[in-house]
Amino acid sequence: MSLTVLPAGSGDFTDAIGTRRELVRESARRSLARRRIAGRIAIALCMVAVAISLAPLVALVAYTTSRGIRVLSWSFLTHVPTPPGIPGGGISSAIVGSVIIVGLAAVIAVPVGTMCALFLVERRGRLAGAIRFGADVLTGVPSIALGIFAYAVLIGPGSLIGHFSGLAGSFALAVLMLPIVIRASEAAMRSVPRDLWEAGLALGVRRSRVVRSVVLRGALPGLVTGNLLAVARAVGETAPLFVTVLGASLLVTNPLQPMGALSLTIFNNANQALPAAQQLAWGTAFVLLVLVLVLSVVARLVSARLNRQARR
Amino acid sequence: MHRGADSRRARDNHDGRDVSRRSLHRWSTLALALGALSLVAAACSSTPTAAKKKTQKTTASTTTTSPAPTTTSAVVAAAPTTTTAAPAAHTVATTPPKATSSACSTSGGPLSAACDTQSPSFKASGAGANSIQPFFTRVFYYYSQANKSVSVNYSPAGSSVGVTDIEQNTVSFGDSEIPIKTPASGTGGNIVQVPVDLGGVAISYNLPGVAAGLKLDGPTLAGIYLGKITKWNDSAITALNPGVNLPPTTIVPVRRADSSGPGYDLDQYLIDTGGSTWTGSAAGTTASTKWPITNVGIGEQLNTGVAGFIQQTPGAIGYVEYAYSLQAGFTNVALKNAAGSYVKPSQSSIAAAGSQATTLSATNFNIVNGGGAGTYPLANFSWTLLYQKQSNTSQGVALGKLFDWVTTTGQQQATALGYSPLPANVVALAHQTLLTLENSAGKALFTS
Amino acid sequence: MSTTLLEEVPPPRLSPVPGVKDGLQRRWARPGGRAYAILRWTGATIFAVIVIGLVVSLMASASQAFGHSGLSFLWSGTYNATKDIYPTGIYIIGTLITTAVAIVLAVPIGVGTAAFLSELAPKWLAGPLSVLIDLIAAVPSIVVGLWGLLVLSPVFARHVEPFLKKIPVLEWFFHGPAYGPSMLLAGTVLAVMILPTIVALSRTALASVASEDREAARALGATRWQVVRTAVVPGARTGIEAAVILAMGRALGETIAVSLVIGNNNALPHSLLAPGATLGSAIINNFGEANPGLDKSSVIGLVVVLLAITALVNIGGQLLLRRRLRAVGATT
Repeated sequence: MSLTVLPAGSGDFTDAIGTRRELVRESARRSLARRRIAGRIAIALCMVAVAISLAPLVALVAYTTSRGIRVLSWSFLTHVPTPPGIPGGGISSAIVGSVIIVGLAAVIAVPVGTMCALFLVERRGRLAGAIRFGADVLTGVPSIALGIFAYAVLIGPGSLIGHFSGLAGSFALAVLMLPIVIRASEAAMRSVPRDLWEAGLALGVRRSRVVRSVVLRGALPGLVTGNLLAVARAVGETAPLFVTVLGASLLVTNPLQPMGALSLTIFNNANQALPAAQQLAWGTAFVLLVLVLVLSVVARLVSARLNRQARR
Repeated sequence: MHRGADSRRARDNHDGRDVSRRSLHRWSTLALALGALSLVAAACSSTPTAAKKKTQKTTASTTTTSPAPTTTSAVVAAAPTTTTAAPAAHTVATTPPKATSSACSTSGGPLSAACDTQSPSFKASGAGANSIQPFFTRVFYYYSQANKSVSVNYSPAGSSVGVTDIEQNTVSFGDSEIPIKTPASGTGGNIVQVPVDLGGVAISYNLPGVAAGLKLDGPTLAGIYLGKITKWNDSAITALNPGVNLPPTTIVPVRRADSSGPGYDLDQYLIDTGGSTWTGSAAGTTASTKWPITNVGIGEQLNTGVAGFIQQTPGAIGYVEYAYSLQAGFTNVALKNAAGSYVKPSQSSIAAAGSQATTLSATNFNIVNGGGAGTYPLANFSWTLLYQKQSNTSQGVALGKLFDWVTTTGQQQATALGYSPLPANVVALAHQTLLTLENSAGKALFTS
Repeated sequence: MSTTLLEEVPPPRLSPVPGVKDGLQRRWARPGGRAYAILRWTGATIFAVIVIGLVVSLMASASQAFGHSGLSFLWSGTYNATKDIYPTGIYIIGTLITTAVAIVLAVPIGVGTAAFLSELAPKWLAGPLSVLIDLIAAVPSIVVGLWGLLVLSPVFARHVEPFLKKIPVLEWFFHGPAYGPSMLLAGTVLAVMILPTIVALSRTALASVASEDREAARALGATRWQVVRTAVVPGARTGIEAAVILAMGRALGETIAVSLVIGNNNALPHSLLAPGATLGSAIINNFGEANPGLDKSSVIGLVVVLLAITALVNIGGQLLLRRRLRAVGATT
């Protein structure tokens, strides 16, 4: 920044202007230097904040991997647990149990959630607003409350099934997934451009047909993302399963019986003093972590593809 | 221009369909892969389900010899193992004697060790005490190997969970460290209580540099758990342990956050020996499974939580089932018993406590603070809870034979894990109790 | 019947040609359209039944406890194991303290991270970093709790808590015996769990500030940081508040991770270093073994209290945001 100074003696008036201009420039330069330094300090603090944010993730993944990966093997994934002291145990019962429980939950939650999302998209008014509000509030409900709700309805005295079962766990997880599916589906369906709707309707096509052929197809990546994120959230939940599914160490495939689950295995084994049980628990934690991360990453990839497509 | 817009839109739609189809492919491939993995896992998985289907077809007649325990592909045969931390020696699996008697019957018949492995097929589910879990998992595993038609799932969620569950008839059997108050009953009728094992409660501590066998008595322990004694080199402790160099570390008392049998035992012991400091506090004069003083120290869930916390916290002291402390290699307190001796928990001292229960029953079950030179004062029997009236006869037969096996042949597994085998009079009591099982019509399930 | 279907006609701008509307209506009046309507209404009804059923069944189960002790259930401070009396008041205070600690720790770090990712970081860095931070949300809560118990707790007991006790100014917060599991540790674990929520939502809020505001600040000579501080963050304040409220709801409802690291002491904590209990940890500790009847009803009463607090926070936040958005909308 060069300082053009009028030659001295050009006149009192221009002198005053020049001095004033110089004063302003000088103070601006100083304040800019000050503001730049303050900005740099603030940006450095933000970078520290980012580092602090990333530290737990790195620590968690590193700890889980270091304790869990030693145990991982094909037999670990395909055998049932053995009593303490006997080698060769594994977590196949937990994997199968988790797949069945979460699978049943998805079978319940995805159709109901999509139907409800269709309702919200098609209808305006207080009822739709109330349901949307209800979905927003339901996302904030603690998962233990949903587990106890499932217990009261399906397990407690005088209820439908009467004993601990995988189905009760599926019900609790389905109620957990429902608001996520509803909101994600509604957002995905609303993101389909309005003119596609109208074009279909203008052709005289039935409304349901328009939704089926145009809207659902166009919203499919968003629907898949939302459902995958809901499944990822359900797979990692422990509290609702704790009170509805008793847990089982042997392989159980009947959802009306207590079954094993990955998160329950971790909880039951992780604090044990016996090293073999601890290894079992952390191996399970590693498997669960990988499963949830894979689901989240896949959901994100699908959503990125959706964004790229929409921008085109 | 109209046509151009149309063709552009047609192109876009085409791309959109392609992309969504590709996403659909990706999604369905992922789903198929997960499904395939679970199917493979189910297929390769161990014997009880697969073999059960095979043996269901073959065991039809009543005169069969007991099937030799075959180990099929997935289950590894039990072999002597050494684990790095636990000093316990794990014994080779002892197979039960092959039954040669022709009088055994899978629909009832005599209840004897020879016939215990012949029963209808049944997938039993049980819940209850955390303390008995190491014993139960091992015993049920060996039983399933000997009798392929029965498999047992046990959930060690705690004695109270077991009691609640069996009272509401949501499990096949429960297990509790403390018997239910008689007359015990639930939604399915009367409940019978069968003693199945004998265990002890160790007071474990983590004090680097101090050897095992630190001497403590009732008043001192009460002071620790009431928060009155806060340092390890407190005068009360040093008075009992002259010559031991105690550091000035803070004591961290650890207790069970949930209801527990070990908690009940320690509460009973402190009521008996802790004096008015304990009985005058919130603990009162009746022992309870929920630890009464909850504003001192740290509460952790289950034996595993307490053991884990003791392991990682220098200065911690807590109560755990002896089997857990043996597995972890903890240093245990030598507790003062009614005879005035300081006894450490061990298989022999716990057996000595059990042998004092000459008139054991569900109403007279307390063996805490027993006398005798080598008796450990914190021991208790574990009680399995079954409905007397079994609505499903074959399930009742299977359960009866299972627990008869557990109380006789299965006791061989107890020692290696840190439990003591049942004394002979207790085995007889168990047998007598199991003989009272009856079917829905009121007829006894077993003949003798 | 035809009047019901008429309500489902979309807004009139769809068919500007007069007379065509009638034809389209008649088309939808065909039975084929009815099945679709039934499908939608079924979904909505099932959802409504579930939500109402949740509230009704929990309150019905808890009614026995409330009937027994009346409203004093909400603020009882004594724990009586044999009489099945739970110190709800202590649990509520514990819940509020741990949530407050979590918010105090997570909000500055979260908003700073979001500001960095949204405004200050180069584009190639921002994407992967934000994905990484979102992955913390994907870690199951039980793994976080166990990590807190096995890794953080010894570190806290040996280094962090003694260090905090030595700071003279903060003595009111940090004093007394410290074993590791404490309100501070529970708050830290909760902060780790709610951080991704705050970062993701704040990032969205910051990114949605109109670029004209940024350009205006820049034109006035603001440095990059000043643009963020004076133009972007104030503009995103509503969204950031929404993020904090959502994160608060998540922290209030956490059960298993908290029960592992809080020490389960049924007493009022004397400082942040003391062990305590929250509603979530009390529920998970006591539900499984609660005797049927008054005991179980009391634990479900705790669930109802937790639900009420969470719902109040969520609903209050939503109403506040809607009012704020409406005010902003009115002025533009």
